[in-house]
Amino acid sequence: MASSSSSSSYSNPPCAACKFLRRKCLSGCIFAPYFPPEEPTKFANVHKIFGASNVSKLLNEILPHQREDAVNSLAYEAEARLKDPVYGCVGAISVLQRQVLQLQKELDATNADLMRYTNNEISPYNPRRMGYGSGVGSYNPNPGYSVPYSYGENPGHGSN
Amino acid sequence: MTIKSGSGQACAACKYQRRRCTPECLLAPFFPADEPKMFQNVHRLFGVKNIQNLLKELGHDLNQKATAMKSIKYHAAMRNKHPVWGCMVEIHQLNCQIQLAEEELQAVLHQLAFYKQQHENQLSSRTADDYISDLQLGMAPPGNSLEAHSHYNNEEAGAADYNINYMDFKEMNNVVNSMCGYSNNNSNDNNLNSTVTHAHLVMQQPPLSAVEQQQHEDYSEMQPFFDNIDDSQSYIGCKEAYDQSSLSLESQFKASRHDVEEIDENELKSAAACFSLTSVN
Repeated sequence: MASSSSSSSYSNPPCAACKFLRRKCLSGCIFAPYFPPEEPTKFANVHKIFGASNVSKLLNEILPHQREDAVNSLAYEAEARLKDPVYGCVGAISVLQRQVLQLQKELDATNADLMRYTNNEISPYNPRRMGYGSGVGSYNPNPGYSVPYSYGENPGHGSN
Repeated sequence: MTIKSGSGQACAACKYQRRRCTPECLLAPFFPADEPKMFQNVHRLFGVKNIQNLLKELGHDLNQKATAMKSIKYHAAMRNKHPVWGCMVEIHQLNCQIQLAEEELQAVLHQLAFYKQQHENQLSSRTADDYISDLQLGMAPPGNSLEAHSHYNNEEAGAADYNINYMDFKEMNNVVNSMCGYSNNNSNDNNLNSTVTHAHLVMQQPPLSAVEQQQHEDYSEMQPFFDNIDDSQSYIGCKEAYDQSSLSLESQFKASRHDVEEIDENELKSAAACFSLTSVN
């Protein structure tokens, strides 16, 4: 004879969210599909940074087939923020933007060299690209994170 | 009605929450009253309590707090703009840009190495007359192909070093790719494939024409050498040389035959001597 307290276990084991929040995991739990009980740290991180109520509101505002992607991105951002409380995942964006700029500079310099060779203006015994060439292989362990350059452009133009 | 703080106006946080903005308000320095939307984004994603906890964790370093709040505002703005992916959109786009730029750089470096080698070959071909005279004297040709190859390897190594740096973000890229779905990856891959294919086509075209051009130049420079020779004289010279060589061969053959005969006779005699000696025993 099944007891009433095990109704949740009779239908489904409680999800990681309800287990963490120590509440009954109902059949319509919005967290259940995306926070399985095998991954308790996933919800713990998300709850610590964003809060369960905020995540619940966010999930209710988007379509069901997009919720898994939203949860995964939130989990990644929460983990990044826990590892780096100052920059979070924004630090990665800043570093990537810098890499793009560096690559673009390198590409421009190399294209300029190519143009000169096709016009036969440089001899092979006069290397010009010593400055840029040395910058290609260098890695700065202290990149000096900064807020991404697009922040000043007010990216919050409204949701899609 | 919100009570004004020391600065004369309630901060956006206290205004939104409709509460008194005291001088000790933690959020006042970061959320000015003229940016209400900024706080709304942050409040929507993080919540006031979580922001306050985060600021408390950072201690008393004002610079760190200011930087952290900047990043939080950016984060919230990105989530407001992209409710599903948030910052992952920007990260994914940047990763794709880096990959494309890297491949383009590789292609351009290959082209540059090729043109450098071609230039060196042109410089070395200008001394073709000296080279041919060296050949006549039996001297070894100049070895500049290795030097060109080393130039190419140095540039390739430079690009490879950058590949190692890019690999540091591979873990993040794997997470992003797994989250962004196969459809996005396929479309980006198609763009990448088309870009790479185009780069390869561009790279392949010059070598074919340059090789042909090089061969043409070689033949054109060798032609004057052959034009100076008189065919009739050369034939006669060859015939005389052949006759002489045939004579010498024949004489050598005769001499060798004579020698063979002599040797056979000597062997027979010695063999006979041995036979006679053995017969006694």
